[in-house]
Amino acid sequence: MTGFNKLTKADYTKTTLRAYFLQNGFNYTNYQGLGYALVMYPAFKKMYGDDKAKLAKELESNSEFYNTNPNFLPFVTSIHLAMADNGYDYEEVRGIKMALMGPLAGIGDSLSQFCIAPLFSTIFASMAMQGFSLAPLLFLLAENVTLLAIKLIVGGYGRKLGTDMIDKLSSQMGTISEAASMIGVTVIAGLAATFVKMNVKVSLAAGQIQQGVKQSTVNIQAMLDKVAPALLPVLYTLLMYYLIKKKGMTTYTLVLITVVLGIALSFLGILG
Amino acid sequence: MVTISLVQAILIGLWTAFCYSGMLFGIFTNRAIVLSFGVGLVLNDIPTALKCGAIAELAFMGFGVGAGGTVPPNPIGPGIIGTLMAITVPGVTPESALSLSLPFAVAIQFLQTAIYTVRAGGPESAANALKKQNFGAFRWHANATIVLFAVVGFALGFSGAYAMEWLSSVVKLIPAQLLKGLSVAGGMLPAIGFAMIMTVMLKKELIPFAILGYILAAYLKMPVMGIALVGACFAIKYYNDSNKKTVVQTENGNGEEHNDWI
Repeated sequence: MTGFNKLTKADYTKTTLRAYFLQNGFNYTNYQGLGYALVMYPAFKKMYGDDKAKLAKELESNSEFYNTNPNFLPFVTSIHLAMADNGYDYEEVRGIKMALMGPLAGIGDSLSQFCIAPLFSTIFASMAMQGFSLAPLLFLLAENVTLLAIKLIVGGYGRKLGTDMIDKLSSQMGTISEAASMIGVTVIAGLAATFVKMNVKVSLAAGQIQQGVKQSTVNIQAMLDKVAPALLPVLYTLLMYYLIKKKGMTTYTLVLITVVLGIALSFLGILG
Repeated sequence: MVTISLVQAILIGLWTAFCYSGMLFGIFTNRAIVLSFGVGLVLNDIPTALKCGAIAELAFMGFGVGAGGTVPPNPIGPGIIGTLMAITVPGVTPESALSLSLPFAVAIQFLQTAIYTVRAGGPESAANALKKQNFGAFRWHANATIVLFAVVGFALGFSGAYAMEWLSSVVKLIPAQLLKGLSVAGGMLPAIGFAMIMTVMLKKELIPFAILGYILAAYLKMPVMGIALVGACFAIKYYNDSNKKTVVQTENGNGEEHNDWI
């Protein structure tokens, strides 16, 4: 395996700091997908600089759905860079990238949003309450120094791990990325069932509608939930999968269809 | 009644733009305590601003940066609009400003949903730019959401400061039905992103894991961390098994079982 070995420690640090840009392109189709490619852009440019077609292809494949905690992202990007710099294809990296997405989001969100932020928020809000003018600024300082430290630490750790992993385990890389893909697919399927939201609001009256008479109604959503929970979201995801894979539809068409469908179904009172 | 000059309105607009964009950067500027501080600084009434910020901060505690899929009421409501009311309108206390600004907090949440929905075509535009090897255009699309945040943030801060009445009439103009439809569409859109990854990741032999993930999330309501751990169990087992196989194969000569394969 021939690697590029073009990256220096500074490139890793730069990519770590670019984690701040992860949500610059946030949208409802691929969440932080565009941001991930943006974070990797300078490092990719250095690795594939001469080969514009390769750079474009890497950026495009790295724009797929991604959603994790920005403060723990450097762990992923560092491992990704270490592998890519040693010549691993994105196909081999993807499994690890996707497998880490869920756990790091879980750890990162609970740590940064439900632990660090409320902690500083209570401390400095009570200081502000007592009229201490600098409290808001100190809140920002404390919050951001802590988060920056987390980014740098996990980024450095990811780089070390990524490099070690390649030295020790290069022969088993295929198995590792296969195993990581197992976690990745499990997590993504689970996310699809929870992130995609479709709720049927219509309930049918049993029999003819009569004014003033209490009727038994059939709640369609409850019925669907009995067949299988999250049935509609999963079916819709499968429909999208089918349209992309078999019909070759572009995401732009699918987005248009989905937005029109969403507004129409909500207007008709079917979804809500 | 304190009057706000054009320059002050522009400054508050810029401050809101910076803080609102900071939400995407994850630098925690979009918190009531920070937002209101800027308003107090511009209007030269820091004590009132501090009170508004602190009260709203505690009320809104736990709402972090916009990771995950949830969009809680936006702190710009109490942080900017609420603080403006408390400072400029006589008789409005920081406490009542918090409740008065809640409709704005909710409206801004819908506005944010609309931005993310509008940007749902971004990945496709970026992919098209990359097909033409137009890296500048790619970067624009990858940054467009934050640009929109800055523009919307400025509009909110500026109009909030310059024309409080006008702003509330604009909020009323947006048909509720359209906002509702956008939220519904916003809920469905991630399906496209998931379907996209699945087209590359989902090999035949991995289908059981897709079903496993669905069962864990939909039936057992397991959080994503737990789902990943269950997946990890299978992955570790698979990894160990395939290593064992390799060792056994290479040591095939004497046909002995090796348990100490590490």
